[in-house]
Amino acid sequence: MDLSLILDVDNLTVGPRAHGTPPILDGISFRLHTSEIFGIYAESGGGKTVLSRALADWLPDSLTYRAGRVLFAGHDTLKKTSTSTFKVGRDIAYIGSKPQSSLDPTMPVGVQIAEKLHSVRPEWNPKECRERVIQLLGEVRIPSPAERYYEYPSKFSGGMMQRAMIVDAICAEPAVLIADNITQPLDVTIAAQIVALLHDLCLRHKMATIYLTSSLPILGQFGKRTAVLHHGRFVEQQPFEQLIAAPQTEAARSAIDSVPRIWSAGEGPPVRRHAEGEAPLMRVAGVHRTYRQRKRGTFNTYRNIQAVRGVTLDIMPRENFGIVGESGCGKSTLTRMLAWLETPDTGTLVLGGTDLAKLSPRELIRKRNEFQLLLQDPYTALPPRTTVGRMIEESLRIRGGIPRKEMRTKVTAAMAEVGLPAKLYDALPNALSTGERQRISIARALILDPKLLILDETLSAIDQREQSKLIDLFSRLQAKNDLTYVFISHDLAMVRKVCTRIAVMYLGEMVEIADNRDLFFDPQHPYTKALLSAAPTLEEKPFNAADFLLEGEPPSPIDIPPGCSFASRCPKAFGRCRVETPRLREHQPGRFAACHLLDSAEAETAAA
Amino acid sequence: MLILEFLVKRILQGFLIIGITSFIIFTLLRVVPGDPVRLIVGGMAPPDVVEKVATKMGLRDPIVVQYGRYMVGLLQGDLGQSYLRPRSGMVAAGGQYVDPTKSDMAPVTDLILERLPVTLQLGGVALVFALLISFPVGIAGGLRQNGWPNTLAFAVQSLFVSIPNFWLAIVLILFLSVKLNWLPALGYQGFSYVILPALVLSVEIAPFIIRTLTTSFGEVMQAPFIDEARVRGLSRRRIVYAHALRNAAVPLVNLLGIQLSTLIGGVLVIEYIFDYPGLGNLTVVSVVGRDFPVIQGIAITTSAVFVFINIIVDLVAYLIDPRVEL
Repeated sequence: MDLSLILDVDNLTVGPRAHGTPPILDGISFRLHTSEIFGIYAESGGGKTVLSRALADWLPDSLTYRAGRVLFAGHDTLKKTSTSTFKVGRDIAYIGSKPQSSLDPTMPVGVQIAEKLHSVRPEWNPKECRERVIQLLGEVRIPSPAERYYEYPSKFSGGMMQRAMIVDAICAEPAVLIADNITQPLDVTIAAQIVALLHDLCLRHKMATIYLTSSLPILGQFGKRTAVLHHGRFVEQQPFEQLIAAPQTEAARSAIDSVPRIWSAGEGPPVRRHAEGEAPLMRVAGVHRTYRQRKRGTFNTYRNIQAVRGVTLDIMPRENFGIVGESGCGKSTLTRMLAWLETPDTGTLVLGGTDLAKLSPRELIRKRNEFQLLLQDPYTALPPRTTVGRMIEESLRIRGGIPRKEMRTKVTAAMAEVGLPAKLYDALPNALSTGERQRISIARALILDPKLLILDETLSAIDQREQSKLIDLFSRLQAKNDLTYVFISHDLAMVRKVCTRIAVMYLGEMVEIADNRDLFFDPQHPYTKALLSAAPTLEEKPFNAADFLLEGEPPSPIDIPPGCSFASRCPKAFGRCRVETPRLREHQPGRFAACHLLDSAEAETAAA
Repeated sequence: MLILEFLVKRILQGFLIIGITSFIIFTLLRVVPGDPVRLIVGGMAPPDVVEKVATKMGLRDPIVVQYGRYMVGLLQGDLGQSYLRPRSGMVAAGGQYVDPTKSDMAPVTDLILERLPVTLQLGGVALVFALLISFPVGIAGGLRQNGWPNTLAFAVQSLFVSIPNFWLAIVLILFLSVKLNWLPALGYQGFSYVILPALVLSVEIAPFIIRTLTTSFGEVMQAPFIDEARVRGLSRRRIVYAHALRNAAVPLVNLLGIQLSTLIGGVLVIEYIFDYPGLGNLTVVSVVGRDFPVIQGIAITTSAVFVFINIIVDLVAYLIDPRVEL
């Protein structure tokens, strides 16, 4: 292996242009050799992006280099001289965390990559550039690269676009590659693919790579030299395993602690209080929802986007039901149907014995007291110019029949219940924290005495401490008011912590429904296994994660292939999977899965 | 295929629009007070002559019947004949009697076809002038949002939008043609006659183009892909001209489609001031003379031009930015 020194960063200090302000990067020094992978961890806001921009001589106008040098193959990249041969984009390449907005939306992806290649390597003629780009698009496993070359950025999914951006970065054969949080916007299974791909490419193309991320577990895939960037300084540098095993600094320790735990979490999942002969609170039976979209290039044909395809489940009273899945799997549509904001095309929703479709509009408003939806983003969910008290009493006013005086006592009682001080009654929401806003949403729902709360990513966007406080609040409210929760989330660690029963959704269908412990320790469906394998944690997984790394992307909900919808990505798919759609069946008591593999496994045990 | 489908659909839609406009104009003209027959036969003619001529010309039939007759003619490319203009080109006056029911009156189609190219030339040249003024000012203003070019762009557009066109026309005639004798001012005998009216028209359109360009350019320059283009190794020139300009052009193209109505309004006044023999001039004269067939013809032509240009605009917007829905 070639081990010549390629990048030498010495005492790099960067700060705002204004004097007397503290620097953002403070005395960063490191050396990088060819083919070496250097992982840098920093929490969000820790100076990752500034560091990557500083290395690529690409600081925003508000920042300036205060001290230090960046030597690329012996040349100082920061000194502007006419003899300098160093070129950003050719010698150092950058991949960012926003693939979808990295290219001009009005030009085809391939054309733009070739344009870049030709402008940094003018000695290669346009035809060579085009061929090289197509070849590389194939190398990053973009299907039919020659056609994709002429497609526009809006036609690429996030994962595909990130692959294209990798091509954009490596096409000019850079010596150094800077990858700044490149998996941040991607789903876990796609992120795992991208990291594996990048790793492979770096070794094959002999690029020195600086991988900056705010997700510590991802660096474990490289396992090489790892640095912790904290408040603009490198506080620690060690090989990955040693860093995890024996962190030397407080910053590293808290970083390791903040990585979510799925399997080694101490507290077991909460247990549902059973009652004799109880009926499900909500029965969802065979709901479908298809959106029609006009097809471009035709007069009057529509294409059907099958968002939810026949979901059947029972939600028991006092249970914490979790629904997990990746983007585009239909969980938002399902959420909207559970909250009856959208009606299913076919299938029924029965709440406490009443079919929601059969209610008159007036009866429906009454019935809505029983099930309430909590939205994902507490910032956009609250009207900015309405006082907190008014917001909470809104739904009471809509229903009427309660004197004003009584309303105020009801509102303050609800506020007290969720832990909001009564003095906030007349406050506006703009100065409130995320946690407080979230509590307003909860109070708003609670004031109607609901039986069922539907929580759409409610606990995802907040920090760990606030999250555990809200989890406590939820379980207290549950004990007191006999509440049932449905959590819809992509966050496996959160679901592991709070849900008693979990459904896994893929392409509009439920592929597995099982109790918390069963699902996480003995998943049945290959997709569940893949999802768990890709979960970014530092733990030992209960099965071999490498067996379930997925290839490719989910099929489009417009052209759903026959047979099992997961067959195109499933590492264990066989002939039957591509012709016959597996039904969701109870293979073991309380554990449902839709997979032919389980049928054959059962047949084998039956035969034996 | 997509483009072909779009064209077919939009052209069919266009016919519908033209049909509706023509019907509205047709009805309104016959509902408003003022009998054209009275004007044709002259003030001194006895009422029974007025009735006789009117009946002969079919002006006493129900409006729907008249409209139907008119549409049948239209489909054959016949827009009827002017009430006031004889073939000789003179305007009929009270003195000599020209029988408007006879075929010695000028066909509207000829009148319009004669003047449409002249007006289109005026509009086209005005648009080119406006773009020549707006592009440097607007792009510079968009690139430096906080510098003097932006202030300049703002000043230019405020100034232009506040100048009344008739005043500017008179001032330009006074200086450029009377005092300096550089350009001809009145009438039309060649291309040089277009320049002055086109200048005045362009001052009317330019502020909107400058405004749109500065804002859309400023926005595009903030976009992440422009920022990232630098680290991808593209030159500043390529970033600005190949990418930023292309993206900023989409709102501009759409604006031009809408600005067309301003242009048509402006043409009326300016052609009249410069005695420029275009459609605008013809409109003013025909409205004053209640020359129904000519007014109708002009209305149909204008709406056809409008529909056509908007089809082009949408097509261009799509070619620039494929995300635009056709």
